Amino acid sequence: MKEVKLFLGPQHPGMHGNYSAHMYVEGDIINKSYALPGMLHRGFEKLMERRHWMGNLALIPRICVIEPDPNEMVYAMSIEKLAAIEVPERAHWIRMIILELARLAANLMSIGGIGAPVGLYTSVYWGVADRDLILDIFEKITGARVYHMYIVPGGVRKDLPEGIEEEILDLLDYIEGRLPEFYDLVMRSPIFQTRTRDNILLPEEVVWELGVTGIGMRSAVNREYDIRKVKPYARYDQVEFSLPYGPYSDAFTRVDFKYIEMAQSISIIRQSIEKMPKDGPVRAKIATGSALRWQVPPGMVYSCVESARGEYGYLVVSDGGEMPYRIAVRGSSYPQGLMGVEKYLPGHRIDDASLWMDTMGVCAPEIDR
Amino acid sequence: MTTNAKDVRKTWEKIADYFRAHSIWMKWYCTGCGAIEMPPTMTSRFDMERLGMGPMATPRQADVLLITGYLSAKTLRRVIYSYEQMQDPKYVVGFGSCTLNGGIYFDSYATMTRLDHYLPVDLYIAGCMPRPEAIMNSFDTLIKMIEKGEAKGWKHYQENHEWYRRNQLHSLKEVYVKDEFHE
Amino acid sequence: MNSTNKLVEEIRQRFEIIDVIHPDDQQVILDIDKMHLHTLLSHLKADGFRQLSLLSAVDWIKDNIFELVYIVFNWDTGVHVLARVKLPRDNPRFRTITPIYPGAQYYERDVHEFFGIEFEGNPMSYKPLFLELWDEMPPMRKDFDPEAYSREKFPERVYVPHFVPKVEVIE
Repeated sequence: MKEVKLFLGPQHPGMHGNYSAHMYVEGDIINKSYALPGMLHRGFEKLMERRHWMGNLALIPRICVIEPDPNEMVYAMSIEKLAAIEVPERAHWIRMIILELARLAANLMSIGGIGAPVGLYTSVYWGVADRDLILDIFEKITGARVYHMYIVPGGVRKDLPEGIEEEILDLLDYIEGRLPEFYDLVMRSPIFQTRTRDNILLPEEVVWELGVTGIGMRSAVNREYDIRKVKPYARYDQVEFSLPYGPYSDAFTRVDFKYIEMAQSISIIRQSIEKMPKDGPVRAKIATGSALRWQVPPGMVYSCVESARGEYGYLVVSDGGEMPYRIAVRGSSYPQGLMGVEKYLPGHRIDDASLWMDTMGVCAPEIDR
Repeated sequence: MTTNAKDVRKTWEKIADYFRAHSIWMKWYCTGCGAIEMPPTMTSRFDMERLGMGPMATPRQADVLLITGYLSAKTLRRVIYSYEQMQDPKYVVGFGSCTLNGGIYFDSYATMTRLDHYLPVDLYIAGCMPRPEAIMNSFDTLIKMIEKGEAKGWKHYQENHEWYRRNQLHSLKEVYVKDEFHE
Repeated sequence: MNSTNKLVEEIRQRFEIIDVIHPDDQQVILDIDKMHLHTLLSHLKADGFRQLSLLSAVDWIKDNIFELVYIVFNWDTGVHVLARVKLPRDNPRFRTITPIYPGAQYYERDVHEFFGIEFEGNPMSYKPLFLELWDEMPPMRKDFDPEAYSREKFPERVYVPHFVPKVEVIE
């Protein structure tokens, strides 16, 4: 059969954001494929060197659109390590609530999004509508729907509004009630099962070869490899949760794990609200004088958190000046988005390419930066 | 307001504009981060379809090109390519501060700072990022503009094509995406 | 601290380490001569550091050097090792680490694009990745001015003030 060139994306409903893969296909089997990133490249790492340490707070959430809060968290963590700032106890718990709500929102979006490549559009409507309720909570806490700029070096920007705990608990009850319905709608659907079961396998060697983290890794290597467990930050060592892991990673398992992780996020938020100190400071004083012209002590540090897609890290270098000297971003979907498309997709069918993008959680803006 | 002979619409154009205004297909191209507010706008909560708008996957059947947020030079090439594939009449909506004046990326080496230099923009939505309410409001405005025959960016693009092309070439060097693999 | 101390002692016995810094409990920075980096990384990989988390570079323009930072991660102990090597700033070249960590291929391409560091043995790294038709020096170098580039390439919107208050200085 004749080999044909195919451009999948950037303007394609099955593609996740402004991202592209170039392929040679024979029939509908992919022979060779190459990722073409860079459509969302804004030069973040350069821009961050040109802003003050505090001015960067407005810039960093924009690196990943779907789940902006891990950015703020790693940035704050790095600065706290460099400047040896002690974060108040209550702030740690508030950060955890925010991070888990963000993870819940990202997972809902991704479970909704899985509908598009398999042709099951109801889940898109359900997932996005439920995610909007979480955004409402964010709006009440931080004042913004998408980019919150809430986690700042030294704690969080301001205290939680009164009575928000009850609202969060109500919302969690609602989402927990919805999860079985989602499960019936998506996972038990024959269309979905045919498309994903025993399809797009991710063997363990490929995980280590590419450096894949997150759900993809946990479902393949049969270990509970999660930054929250291996290297706890905030107060994740004081809550009880267990993450799903397994030895056999097909598309179905990876989506299945997202449901279990959502239930775990709900449990973590409930425990945090219960264990959180009821009052106290939420932000440590970081500097004398103007915080805008604050100077961070020189040094180099790497800090990472677990986002919904894997290890998310910043390498922060300070030379003691008012601006960062260098910040390098490790987007968590960098390996599966670039290497994965090139090394792994050949041999699969064209329509499975977008399933790979979705189940592995390829997020274009954090790859391009 | 002075009226030129050129600006006066014929009766059939008025009727055509009425129908155009109430069946708008929006091209599905997420050029930037503003695209994250599109799913809530399109799905059950804000429900764009009650205005008579729907998403469309291919440029050849779409009427509205939404530029959702910042445009890097690499995307701008593909956006121009898509825009010129769309059929007349076509409308462009600039979305967020980044398309207006560069916004937070004003000094970035990769993103352009004003969209109307390269494409004829009918409507801008300010904000970073605009809320779904703002998007719905802008769609409402766009529908009224089309109905009144005020959204004439595509005619402007035809008449001043050389000016637009000069600007595009100045910033991008090459406008069209070559059929070359990125191997 | 114990786990990293033991690790560092073990590495010190085998390799010449120029400097060791502990930025936090589960993180070690090792400054190493560029001759020994590849053997160090192979040793670390055999020792459980199976994941390359990040490969990046820092431009120390005052000292006229590039610093390459290799971050490897051990999932069982949760320790990050940051191995740093220094390269001269003019004509920077280094050998690739793709035989050890195949995932480094795209990171090297990234560093080559943004810093102009060439990686011998990785033919893919010479191709452009994020930027298209780039005609200036690599943008992450410190002497590149993005604002001037942006002004020249992308004309800015000029705002005409509607109201200019007249101010008179009263003496």
